[in-house]
Amino acid sequence: MRPKIASYFARHTFTALLKRPGTKLLIGLLNLLVFAALLSGYGNVREQRTIIKDYQTEVRERWESNPDKHPHRMAHYGYVVFRDPYPLSFFDRGLENYLGNAIFLEAHRQNTANYSTASLSTGLLRFGELSGAMVLQALLPLLLFFWGFASVAGEREDGKLKLIFAQGARWSELLLGRAAGLFCAAATVWLPAFLLTGVLLAFFLSSAELGATLLRYGLLLLTYGLYLFVLSLFTVWVSAMSKTAKTALLRLIGCWLLFVLVIPKVAQVVGEVLYPTLSKLSFDRAVEADLLEQGDSHNPDDPYFVGLRDSMLAVYGVTSTKELPFNYGGFIMREGEKLSTATFRRHEARLMTRFGQQQGIVRWTSLFDPYVAIKYVSMALAGTDYYAYQNFREQAEDYRYSLAQTMNELQMELIGNDIASSADKRAALSRQYWIDFADFHQRPVALSSSLRTEWLPLLILVAWSVVLIVPALFLRRPVSIL
Amino acid sequence: MISYLLKDFARSNTLLAGISLLLVTGLISIYIGHLFLEKQAAVTAEAAEVQRESIAHTLDFVADDDLGLFLYYVRFGLVNETPQLAGLAIGDRDVHPATQHVTIRNLEEQRHGSILRNPLFQLLGNLDFSFVLIFLFPLVIIAFCFNVLSEEREGGTWSLVLSQTGRPQRVLYQKVLLRFAAVQLTLAVLLIIAKFWLRIPVDAYFLTFAAVAVLYVTFWFSLSWLVVRQGRSCNQNALSLLLAWILLLIVVPSALQATVNNLYPTPEAYSAMLESRDGYHNKWDEPIGPTLEKFRKLYPQFAAYEHPEGAPFGWLWYYAMQHLGDAEGATATAELREKLRQRNTFSEVAGYLFPSVHTQLTLSALSRSDLANYLAFQDRLAAFHEDKRLTFYPEIFAEHAVSSLDWNGYAPEYFQDDRRVDWLTVLLPPLLAIVVLLLIARLTGRPYALAEPVGSAKSLP
Repeated sequence: MRPKIASYFARHTFTALLKRPGTKLLIGLLNLLVFAALLSGYGNVREQRTIIKDYQTEVRERWESNPDKHPHRMAHYGYVVFRDPYPLSFFDRGLENYLGNAIFLEAHRQNTANYSTASLSTGLLRFGELSGAMVLQALLPLLLFFWGFASVAGEREDGKLKLIFAQGARWSELLLGRAAGLFCAAATVWLPAFLLTGVLLAFFLSSAELGATLLRYGLLLLTYGLYLFVLSLFTVWVSAMSKTAKTALLRLIGCWLLFVLVIPKVAQVVGEVLYPTLSKLSFDRAVEADLLEQGDSHNPDDPYFVGLRDSMLAVYGVTSTKELPFNYGGFIMREGEKLSTATFRRHEARLMTRFGQQQGIVRWTSLFDPYVAIKYVSMALAGTDYYAYQNFREQAEDYRYSLAQTMNELQMELIGNDIASSADKRAALSRQYWIDFADFHQRPVALSSSLRTEWLPLLILVAWSVVLIVPALFLRRPVSIL
Repeated sequence: MISYLLKDFARSNTLLAGISLLLVTGLISIYIGHLFLEKQAAVTAEAAEVQRESIAHTLDFVADDDLGLFLYYVRFGLVNETPQLAGLAIGDRDVHPATQHVTIRNLEEQRHGSILRNPLFQLLGNLDFSFVLIFLFPLVIIAFCFNVLSEEREGGTWSLVLSQTGRPQRVLYQKVLLRFAAVQLTLAVLLIIAKFWLRIPVDAYFLTFAAVAVLYVTFWFSLSWLVVRQGRSCNQNALSLLLAWILLLIVVPSALQATVNNLYPTPEAYSAMLESRDGYHNKWDEPIGPTLEKFRKLYPQFAAYEHPEGAPFGWLWYYAMQHLGDAEGATATAELREKLRQRNTFSEVAGYLFPSVHTQLTLSALSRSDLANYLAFQDRLAAFHEDKRLTFYPEIFAEHAVSSLDWNGYAPEYFQDDRRVDWLTVLLPPLLAIVVLLLIARLTGRPYALAEPVGSAKSLP
C-alpha cells in the first residue's frame, strides 16, 4: 500500500462529502445535539452533586449534634451516605439512572441503596436519556453509514471503479483511504464533543480529582476514536461487498438496528434465562433463614450464644457475666454483628457473582457488536458502570460495619456491667465520641481497576480494527469491481 | 388491478421480511411477557408464604405476654397486583417491587425497598410487546412505504400506469392500503395470540390498548403517506422517514427526559428520609411526656392509655416515637409526591405532541405499570399500614396477650389499580395527529401524474 495514494482517497472522500448538499447542516445539527446533551448532563450532575453535598453535610451535623447517650442508640440512629457521581458521568450517564443514590446505614442490618432516578421517573426514561455518549455511540454511526454506504458500491454502479483500478490504484489504498476519509467526517462531531467535554471538566473539577479524571478523559477520547474508526472501516467494507449502493444502505441500516436495539436486548434475555436471580423476597428469606440458624444474640437461651458466654466465663474465671471486666451486652452485640455481617456478605457476594455472569453474557456480544463494546468501556471510564457502583456500596457497608462495631466497643469498654437499660443516665457517653467518629468519604475507584473489569471489550474493539484492516492490505480482487 | 397489486406485494421480499420480523419479535416479546408474568406470580405466591412464616417464627420466640415485641417483628404483606396486560407493557414494573412487607413501625424506612434486578438490564430495557410496537413496527412501515411511488417513477413503470388509467391515485391508494392492511393484520394476530397466551381479559384496558396500538400504526402510515406525497426520490424518502423515526423515538423522548430531570429535581426524597429518621430517633433522648402528648393529639382515641409511671420503656411510648417519625417526615414526603405528579403531568402533556411518547406512556398506563400505579400503590400502602397500626395499637396498649388474637386469618392483602380509562385524552391526540398529517399531505401533495420524482432533472418542465 502506498500511503500517498491512500491519503489522496481519504482527502477526496472527505472533501466530496463536505460538498454534498446537507452534509454541513447534518454535522451542525449533530454538534448542536451533542452540545445540548453535554450541557444538560453537566447541569444535572452539578446539581446532583450540590444536593448530595448539602445533605451529606446535614447528615454529619445531625450526627454530631446528638446529645450524650448510650452508644447503642447511636448505632441504631445510624448514618446516611449518598453516592457522589463521578465527574465524567455528565458525558456518559451509563447506569446512573438505575442506581440507588442513598443508603441508610444502621446496626444489625444492611439496607438497600434507594432513590434511584428510575424509581422517581415516568415512562419517558425508558426511551433512554440524551447524553454525549449516546449521540457518539448510536447516532453518529448511523450518520457514518449514510455518508459511506455508496463509497465503493456507488462507484461500482457508475463504472468508476474500473477507471480507478485502471489507473493503478490498489484495493488496500481505496478501502483504507475511503475509511480514513469517513473517519475525518466523524471527527467533525467526535472532536468538538470532546473539546466541550474537556472545557466543562475544567470548570467542574477540584484539583484533587484532576489527575485521575484527565487520564480517564484521555482514554475516552481515544476509545471513541477507535470505535468510530472501526465503524468507518466497517461501512466501507459493507459498501465494497454489496452489489449496489441500495443494498449497502439496507445492510448498514439493518446492522445498526441489530447493534443498537436487537443484540443488547436479546443478550439481556439470554442472560436472564441462563442466570436467573432471586427475587428480593427470596433473597431476604434466605439471609434470614441463615441468621436464624446461626443464633440469635437477643435470645438468652440461644445455644450458640450460651456456649460463647460459658467460654468467656471460663477464660475470665468468673461465675456471672456481671463480673466480666467488660460490658457483656456490648460484647454479644459485637459478636452478633460479626456473624450476621459475614452471612449477609456471603449472600450478597453470590448475588454479585450472578449479576457478573449476566453482564458477562452481554459483554461477550461485543464480539459481533462494537456498540456493546464501546458502551461497556465508556461506562467504565466515565465511572457509571456497575463496578464503580458496587465499589461505592462496599465502602458504605464497610463504614456501616465500623460504625456499629465502634459503638459496640465503646459500650464494652465504657459502660458498667450492672447497667441493664439504655435509658440509664450512667450509660450516657459524651457526644465527643460521635464527633470523633470520622465522616464517610467516598473514594473513587482507581482507573486501573476500571480497566481491569473491561479489558475484554476494549481488546475486542482493537481486534475489530485489526480484522478490518489486515485483509484490506492483502486483498487482491475477491470482490467484483464491475 | 387490485388483485395484480396484491399478487405483486405478496411476492415481494420486503413483505416477507417485514412481516416475519414483526411476527418473530412480536412472539418473542409475548414470550418475555409470559416469563415476566410467571415471575410476578411466583413473587405473589411467595408473599403469602413470607407472611405465614413471619407470624409462625415470631410466635415461636416471643413470649405470649409481649404483644408489643411480637408486632415489632411481624411483617404484613401488601401485593401490588400485576394485571395480565402488564405482560405486554412491563413499564416500570421491573424497577418497583411487586410486594411490600411492613411492620407497624415507622413506614418511611420500610417503603422504599428496591428490587434485585441487574441495573444493566434495566438500562437495556425489556424486549416487551410495547417495544416491538413502538420501535420496530414503524421501521417496517417505513420499509413498506418509502418507495411505493418513487420506485415506480424511478423504474419507469409509473408512466405505464399513467397511460392506462385516468386516476393514477387509485393505484397508489390501493398499494398503500394493502400495506396498511398487512401491518394491521399482523398487529391483530399478535394481539389475539397474546390474549390467549397471556390469558388477558378482554376489558376496557385491553380494548383501549389495542386501539392505541392501531392508532400508532396508522400514525406511521399517515406520516409515510405525507412523505410519499411529496413525490421525491426513494433515497430522499427513506432519509426523511428514518430521520423522523430517530427524532420521534430517540432524540425527542430522551431530550424530554433530560428536561424533566432538570425541571423537577427531587431532593425532597432525601429530606423525607432524614426528617423521619430524626423524628423517631431523637425521641429517645427527649422526655416521654411531650412525645405522648404529640401522639395523643394525632390519635385522641388512645388518650386513655398511660405510660407506666417512672418506667424507662413502654410500648405506648415506643410506638408513639415510631409514628412521630412518619409524622415529622410527612411534609417532605408530600412534597416529593407533588414533584412526582408534576413529572407525570409534564410527560403526559409532552405526549400529546409526540405520538411515540404518548403511546409509550399510555400503554404502560393501561397495563398499570407506570409511575401513577406506583404512587397509587404507595398511597394504598400508607393506608394499609395505618389500618394495621390502628387495629393493633389498642391491643398493645391494653397489654393483651399475643394468643388473644387470631393469627391464622392474616394473609397478604392485594392492591388492584382500577383507574378509569379516559378515552378522550388517550385516543384524541394520536387521532388529531393522523388527521393533521393527512390534511397536510392533501394540501402539499404533488400531482400524481408526474412521471419522474420531484427534484430529478427529468421532472422539470
